[in-house]
Amino acid sequence: MIKAKNRLGIIFFPAFDWAISPTHPEREERLLYTQDQLREEGVFDIEGIHEYKPDIASEIDVKRTHFCIPDVDSVVTQSHLISAGGAVKAARLVMDGDADRAFALVRPPGHHAMKVVHGNRGFCNINIEAVMIEFIREHYGQKRVAVVDTDCHHGDGTQDIYWHDPNTLYISIHQDGRTLYPGSGFMEELGGPNALGKTINIPLPPMTSAEGFLHVIDHAVLPILEMFKPDLIINSAGQDNHYTDPITNMNFTAQGYALLNEKLNPHIAVLEGGYSIQGALPYVNLGIALAMAGVDYSRVVEPDFDENFIRQERAVTRYIEKICDDVVENYRNPRKRGPSRGMAGNYEVRKKNIFYDTDGIRENQVEAVMICDDCPGILKIETLSSVNPLSLGIEVPLGACDGCREEGYRILDQGKLKNKYAYIKFINRRDREYIDI
Amino acid sequence: MYLGLDVGGTHTDAVLVNEKGVAASVKVVTDRDNLLNSVNAAIEELLARAGAVEITRINLSTTLSTNAIIEGKTEEVGTLVSAGPGIDAARFEIGRNFHIIDGSVDHRGTEIKGPDRRQVEKAIEDCRKSGIKVFAVAAKFSTRNPSHENLLKDLLGQNADFVTPGHRLSGQLNFPRRITTAYFNSAVWRIFNGFADAVEKGLGSFGKTAQVNILKADGGTMPLAMAKQVPVESILSGPAASVMGIVALCDIREDSVILDIGGTTTDIAVFADGAPLIEPEGISLEGRPTLVRALKTKSIGLGGDSLLGVKGGAVTVGPERKGPPMADGGSEPALLDAFNVAGKTEYRDRAASERGIASLAGKAGMGTAEFAAAALRCAIDTIQKEIGLLIEEINEKPVYTVHEMLEGKTVTPRALYVMGGPAGAFADMLSEAFSLPVAVPDNYAVANAIGAALARTTIEIELFADTERRKLVIPGIDVNTSCEREYSLVQARQDAVAYLMDHFKTLGVDSREGEAEIVEASSFNMVGGFYTTGKNIRVKCQIKPGVLFKLNGGGKS
Repeated sequence: MIKAKNRLGIIFFPAFDWAISPTHPEREERLLYTQDQLREEGVFDIEGIHEYKPDIASEIDVKRTHFCIPDVDSVVTQSHLISAGGAVKAARLVMDGDADRAFALVRPPGHHAMKVVHGNRGFCNINIEAVMIEFIREHYGQKRVAVVDTDCHHGDGTQDIYWHDPNTLYISIHQDGRTLYPGSGFMEELGGPNALGKTINIPLPPMTSAEGFLHVIDHAVLPILEMFKPDLIINSAGQDNHYTDPITNMNFTAQGYALLNEKLNPHIAVLEGGYSIQGALPYVNLGIALAMAGVDYSRVVEPDFDENFIRQERAVTRYIEKICDDVVENYRNPRKRGPSRGMAGNYEVRKKNIFYDTDGIRENQVEAVMICDDCPGILKIETLSSVNPLSLGIEVPLGACDGCREEGYRILDQGKLKNKYAYIKFINRRDREYIDI
Repeated sequence: MYLGLDVGGTHTDAVLVNEKGVAASVKVVTDRDNLLNSVNAAIEELLARAGAVEITRINLSTTLSTNAIIEGKTEEVGTLVSAGPGIDAARFEIGRNFHIIDGSVDHRGTEIKGPDRRQVEKAIEDCRKSGIKVFAVAAKFSTRNPSHENLLKDLLGQNADFVTPGHRLSGQLNFPRRITTAYFNSAVWRIFNGFADAVEKGLGSFGKTAQVNILKADGGTMPLAMAKQVPVESILSGPAASVMGIVALCDIREDSVILDIGGTTTDIAVFADGAPLIEPEGISLEGRPTLVRALKTKSIGLGGDSLLGVKGGAVTVGPERKGPPMADGGSEPALLDAFNVAGKTEYRDRAASERGIASLAGKAGMGTAEFAAAALRCAIDTIQKEIGLLIEEINEKPVYTVHEMLEGKTVTPRALYVMGGPAGAFADMLSEAFSLPVAVPDNYAVANAIGAALARTTIEIELFADTERRKLVIPGIDVNTSCEREYSLVQARQDAVAYLMDHFKTLGVDSREGEAEIVEASSFNMVGGFYTTGKNIRVKCQIKPGVLFKLNGGGKS
């Protein structure tokens, strides 16, 4: 019998009875062939690999992370709570020492879900990694967490949630936003005033092959992780960079994904996108699972794999080599765009227009963060969408200083008095107080 | 009359039963070197006691195949596998004649690459030179498309006395288990068939009028003719015979735990809604997981002969055994001695039990009675803990739909059934520990043979239809046909039952043996681009383990 080097927990939840719509990429069939492949390969018979049932995330797990307008029940389905619960279970396995590594092979995905949630965008309602990370921090203490997002689409949701958090390094490797949804994730996007350089974007040109991805891992991601020194590494393991994916334009392979995972060596991997459900997912998921367990994956190859077909062009190689230096410099020496960082005690404000492609919702936001030298700063978001009237979200972050905490309650009181907000969501992570008005 | 025979490692038990009860029962010592002798001796003795009776059914549980594998008395097997990409098939090597052939079929059952003929020829030639006459052929995803296995079997042709094609063993997806199971099946084929032929011959006139069945590990039976093709299904049927005995003797309708307490070990089985639970994947043999369906049982190292000891000031029980209890002439005190001292049993030489426990208690600085009580406490605690873990494991079984996740059934035991030598002694204490009713059936000493006699035929099949490829396969019963583009889940459910009952008829099994039930049924729309291209339909259908009828008066609470 094969023995795994690392004890790996796999939380497999294919939600065989849930779809956005019958022919939507995010449909019942999505993980069917992955399940067939993993079973046929006997993955769960490998000594050290265990399959676990997901937890079901609770309302409080969501409230801790998101401002759900009008409330959690209205924007979240049971399948989202189970998918987030799958990620939470993965975290618990690793944090409790029941597994060395864990892979949440769950759907629906989460990385396009932002801090404020009015509905579904990019197939995501709640951000399952963020719910997981905040669960970890709530129950196992503050951690320095690095999220490396290898989905082909920019994880604009995860970026939004951690934009102001200096304790979370978010690195996204994706197809250039000029050529793909959601049209963001440019190198200049480096995080808010209190967390500058803790958001790192690595947009890659279409037709990037394994060579390019692995170059980025070796020459940008790993050096940055070395500097950040995270307690935990999370891989948002989207699989739509694959050469067979129907909605993207990259040339990544199952072997490449497995090797990337081995190099990155994440504590937890969480499935994100990936819609080549027959040609890619069965092989990529197998490759990732074996790599995480430390089992030989050298013969995991797609049936139609042809090296000549996906060889990387030299222009692409040169471009990627060049941007890696800039990316590392962006971390080491992040330069703020626009006006320079204001004085502590002032708010920095940004305005956002957000489109929820799946649900067809438009949202306007005014986001303000307190510039603070002592903590991640109080966060205040005014939001108005095509489905909800003007509402307010306030977050007193984990590790908030006394000043920011006081400020949080001040704007809460002010918000109540003003009588102009339909809903007010108040998150106080420091004292675990969550208020819905 | 129904005749049940359980050829165990130590004893061979046999009973004759009908609706009125047990007509006769015998217990003979098993002749391990000649199981056939044990079978014949038991039947002879039984008939001598019962007189002239008409026997309609003979069910046999035998350790023959299990022993052959464990003792390494199996035949050399040539194993040919067509693996394709994935985990390196070399990791699943079994036996000395293992050949990997290039070729692959994907998860949909589409052939990507046919088997490499030159490699096949070389493998066959190698095996021929080594004098190999039995073979196992296994291909990845052969349960979706058996063509590679069928081709390999054809190419083996005259070189083989027997070939096991992996897809005939189970419809389940698991390539490593398919290889292992096919290998074991061919390895015991000759020895099992020799035995089966001799049994048939020995039965003489009985064999002609009675239907002869072999017991399986899932608590069901298979006709002898079928057993000759899949002898591997006869492994590890012993514990299942006992569990089916309880089913016959007791009226179990709810979630329950069954304990079979022996000398060295206690076997635990779990019932949900009155039906025994089945191991989802298949049982392991020699540390290798197989596709052989089995009842979910757990064996723990605790029984009447378990050695008592002291560790870190606490009394321990088992898992070692050093001969019989002192009451039975043993040299060191065992759990049964503690029962004797505590006054729960009056087993043979109670004075010897006293002596043994007193000396151990002295070393531990405890009173004799105090020590015996602590030993019983420890035994009950161990059983309670192990049952808890097993139930937890069962309830933690992964599920794949939102519905099951939210509404899924969990097992909560409402009653305990205990059998085996020391069963009576345990009953009160178990009842108190679990706060549940505990029943000890009458006749439990031959429950295994009763279970064998009354077990019904079981079968599980998996229908797989792909309406885009227009293929329909049921691997276990070798159905490989086409289906319409419009083929639906409703039709598939009906077909699964119809094919299963048809198969029963071919095997000569009475259709009254049991009702086919659908265990799982799903249909997935397959989408290419933005259009539905077909349906991927899966239906699992079974006749679950059960008994022909229950015996009255079994079980006193």
